[in-house]
Amino acid sequence: MLVVNDLYAGYGMSEVLMGTSLAVKRGTVVALIGPNGAGKTTTMRTISGGINPTRGEILLDGKPVQGLEPSQIARLGLAHAPEGRKVFGPLSVEDNLLLGAFTRLPHFFGFQAKAAGDLDKIYELFPRLKERRRQTSGTLSGGEQQMLAIGRALMARPKVVLLDEPSMGLAPVIVDEVFDIIRRLKGSGITLLLVEQSAKRALEVADYAYVMERGRIAVEGVPQELQKNERVIAAYLGN
Amino acid sequence: MLKRLILIRGIEGLMVLLLAAIPLLVNNSFVLGLLTLLAIYGILLIGLDITVGYLGLVNLAQAAFLGLGAYAAGLTVTIFGFGMLSALAVSTVIGLVMGTLIAFPSLRLDGPQFALATLSFSALSATVLNEWESLTLGAQGLQLHRPLLFGISLDAKGFYWLCLFFLGIVWIAMHNLLSSQWGRAFEALRDSPIATDAMGIGTYRHKVTAFALGSGLGGLAGGLYAFNFEYLQPHVFIYELMVILLLGVVLGGRKSLWGSFVGAVLIVLLPNLLSNRILFQFFSSTGFLFTLGAGGMALYQKKNRLFQAVAPMIAMGLLVVGSFTVQNTEDWRKAIFALMLFSVVVGLPEGLMGFTSRFLSRIFSIEAEPFAPLSGLEQVLVRKPVDGSPLLQIQELKCYFGGIKAVDGVSLTVASGTIHGLIGPNGSGKSTLVNLVSGLYVPTDGTILFHGKPLVQGSLFAVARQGICRTFQNLQLFSELTALDNVMVSMKGFYSTPLPLVLLGLAKRAEKRAEADSLALLEMVGLSGEARTAAKDLPYGAQRFLEIARAVARRPTLIILDEPAAGLAQPDVVTLLGIIRRIHQQGITVIMIEHHMEVVSGLCDIVTVLDGGKVIAEGVPDEIRRNPLVIEAYLGKGSEPPAATAECRLSPMPVPA
Amino acid sequence: MNQAVIQLMVSGALMGLVYALVAYGFQLTYATSKSINFGQGELVMLSAFFSLTLTNLGLPYYLMIPGGLLFGVVAGLFVERAGVRLALEQKSEGWILMTIILGLFGVSAAENIWGRDDRPFPTPIPTEPMQFFDISITPLEISVAIGVVMIMVIIELFKRKTLLGKAFEAVSADRDAAELMGISATRTIMLSYGLSGLVAALAGILVSPITTVGPTMASALVLKAFSVAVVAGLESGFGVVIVGLFLGSLESLTSFYVGSGWREAPGLVLLILALAVRPTGIFGKAVIRKV
Repeated sequence: MLVVNDLYAGYGMSEVLMGTSLAVKRGTVVALIGPNGAGKTTTMRTISGGINPTRGEILLDGKPVQGLEPSQIARLGLAHAPEGRKVFGPLSVEDNLLLGAFTRLPHFFGFQAKAAGDLDKIYELFPRLKERRRQTSGTLSGGEQQMLAIGRALMARPKVVLLDEPSMGLAPVIVDEVFDIIRRLKGSGITLLLVEQSAKRALEVADYAYVMERGRIAVEGVPQELQKNERVIAAYLGN
Repeated sequence: MLKRLILIRGIEGLMVLLLAAIPLLVNNSFVLGLLTLLAIYGILLIGLDITVGYLGLVNLAQAAFLGLGAYAAGLTVTIFGFGMLSALAVSTVIGLVMGTLIAFPSLRLDGPQFALATLSFSALSATVLNEWESLTLGAQGLQLHRPLLFGISLDAKGFYWLCLFFLGIVWIAMHNLLSSQWGRAFEALRDSPIATDAMGIGTYRHKVTAFALGSGLGGLAGGLYAFNFEYLQPHVFIYELMVILLLGVVLGGRKSLWGSFVGAVLIVLLPNLLSNRILFQFFSSTGFLFTLGAGGMALYQKKNRLFQAVAPMIAMGLLVVGSFTVQNTEDWRKAIFALMLFSVVVGLPEGLMGFTSRFLSRIFSIEAEPFAPLSGLEQVLVRKPVDGSPLLQIQELKCYFGGIKAVDGVSLTVASGTIHGLIGPNGSGKSTLVNLVSGLYVPTDGTILFHGKPLVQGSLFAVARQGICRTFQNLQLFSELTALDNVMVSMKGFYSTPLPLVLLGLAKRAEKRAEADSLALLEMVGLSGEARTAAKDLPYGAQRFLEIARAVARRPTLIILDEPAAGLAQPDVVTLLGIIRRIHQQGITVIMIEHHMEVVSGLCDIVTVLDGGKVIAEGVPDEIRRNPLVIEAYLGKGSEPPAATAECRLSPMPVPA
Repeated sequence: MNQAVIQLMVSGALMGLVYALVAYGFQLTYATSKSINFGQGELVMLSAFFSLTLTNLGLPYYLMIPGGLLFGVVAGLFVERAGVRLALEQKSEGWILMTIILGLFGVSAAENIWGRDDRPFPTPIPTEPMQFFDISITPLEISVAIGVVMIMVIIELFKRKTLLGKAFEAVSADRDAAELMGISATRTIMLSYGLSGLVAALAGILVSPITTVGPTMASALVLKAFSVAVVAGLESGFGVVIVGLFLGSLESLTSFYVGSGWREAPGLVLLILALAVRPTGIFGKAVIRKV
């Protein structure tokens, strides 16, 4: 569904990605782990179009998307819940969700009716968001904002979801909740690429995982293998 | 160092001598008139460059200050019979005072407000000059005679030398200012106004000072202008002149005295250039070829966006077409200025001098000045006596945003000489609490006592001056400045020299001491090798350490670290622990917000846990980890043994004893 | 209050609505991109001249209006492309200088194409005054009021009730995140500049029959619109109407009692005072600094 081949990208002069390759199969959860500064978030941002790659190719459902604007890639079926959540603070929870489906909904009239079904599904998944549907999203707690960011991404009915550091800055109790949600989504057959700081949690939920180091994929494999891999243990899982 | 100084001072001195000698060699009153105007516009543009270049603001009032200065000089001479110097002093003071008055309201916000306020001020002063006919004689114009200087009547040549003398003085004073702590502060506050405030460098008052100085120079130039032409009319000092001045600064090159000078040359020559058809055709064609060449090159090297390369070509192309087809270029002056300015702003934003100096620096490499020998850390951070007495007392502090109770009645006491941890889930109010103490937010209710006395509220700047400095969760470095300069900015409060002395060039010794001290602090955080690296080019961990060094440079009694370990890799965390211990050894009390429990356990003497804007627990780290309330609210599910709470298990870290 | 004062205030307030409309044009672009067109006055003036030319070519009034509006939209889009986009991409405030430059070019073009003199602008709407409670108002003035209020209501409804309107606010809140939702920030900002141009053109068409058309109308209008926008704040559409009405009547009184040369003064003083007392404007929201 999503294939990245030999990707090079960076900010200004400094290259962060140096030949990254990975693939996400339909209906699987793939984790991308690695130390800070390895290029995980840069990979995500390059896939979703925020950074132009200098070399390499990105295929979304077989179509090359490298070099397109983020909004064009989003219209092709990629949803990216970015690091730091980035909800639209001044808008209500429901407006945030509706904008998540911007590419599918009519832009002027009748969008509420058309989105009603999807909204119900999201509210079912996140009952807390339903309680707060009229609240300004900037006033939600960190955990609620993360839920909203995920919900907003799902509203697009995307082919692939990128989820960047969902646990960042959240208290452990909330992180547990977020990962419960990811598990439920996995059960419903989502195609997800997950970047996560805490390798252990990521490996628990993923079908397949890539370990990134200095802009390249260093190790890959199914979680059971990686959990036994000495290099991975030494670097991320602790002794 | 000597080589560099001789080279730069030598070129400047040569230039002045050359300019002064021209009237002796060429006896031509037209040339003399141009030269005089050049000196006056030089002063005017140097003043404008302070705001446009150093503060990075669009200032539309400089033409108005020229006008006000001119009328002030003219009126004091015609009405009170002032002499040359006293009249010029009045012009300058008018510029300074009006500049300060307009700066106070307009510099409070970022964004277009400043440009709007200066624009309004220009329009308002034009109205006043025009309509206050009993004083200014309105559109009829004000006739005056050049007053005596020390009893001597100056002829055109003498007056030119006087203007040149003033330009020289202004040049030297501005050079002193901009290479001092002040100049550094100006550049810093453009990068991060919040951080300059938090370092005790009042962003607002620095901006006001800078703008007032620039306006004062505008007034001085106005006075000289009045005595040069001996006839004033309000409509000269209008919007169009303002655009021409901006053209001068931008085309000459921002943030550069030489740039202002080149800009002044250009402005002086521009009317003559426009009136001569052949000359105009020649210059526009040259400009067009230049944009073709530079734009094509940039496109080829993929340095610029298509727009940046092509738009100047189109604009200059239009100018060329115009120069060959339009009958009366005078009618199209505004459009010509607009096209030139457009091309420069888009295609050559660094200006002619920026371009030239980049070019020159590629050919000649001038070695950087060596650093002052670094101070001993013990002298920089004199160990403060600590006695465990209450240093910071927070009582029933509340902060509501609309309906949200971010901090809801927090009381806590930080004892002198401790490392006090602050933990809690996201949204529990830790950051808000810290923002309240450091003066970023104003509390809704409650008191904060520091050294037993109420702490100023709602001013980062005033709080920093009382001895509380902080770092930021999202880094707030002065990213364009070097690591050394980042720390030195913060020294300004410590080694401060009064502005007049700085202008006279008497701040050099304090500068050297600040440099030596800053180097010592850089060494403390392990960055002495990166002193000349721009902050934005440092690795992430180093940026965090640099922020700590910068905060310490202010010599605080209390330092607040907002998630210092966020995003750090393991080896960096170890370094961080070392740095915090080192600071603590010197008697600086530390408040630390942190998510990493192992950092908290390794360092903190006492930990306060917040949840929902309230304190739910307080105690030594080991107690806290066993506290059921804390486990439920924060540390996570399961009643796992405290040694293996969620975070610790995931990323165990060696904690040095 | 006597008759004359009320009369002055009412006529002034009607002009004030035009200032409000121009100020509303600032708000539209500020909402998506935190930028405004400093050459908005020139846009009003150029659109008015263009519409005048259309009229002189023999186009009837009801066809001239869409023509003039279309010109405004195209000019607004041009300003966005040539003056604003690059600066926004570089996250700088370069757009201030750029839009000033474009405005200057516009004035110069108008001076040379249409001449420096003020010219009358014909209108089919009657100009004979009617009496309401001893206040005389012309149908032309009423048409101005209706036009201003109507366009503002339509655009406000668009912003609040349609998904595209909400996208405006999303782009303003977080440009990058909006892009990830498939909302093209560039196109949204373009759209807001197009709308802003449309509003400017309408202001030109509405006001010209009253004031006449000339290159100097640009700076006169834009200064007052700036005052209205700053005093009201750059966010509240309702606010600009109130402040516009107030400033218009104040100006008309000043002009009558102090002297017509001073008519600009109250707006300028108000602008500076507003920045001193409440920099985000009377109807603006206070900014919470985030770190």
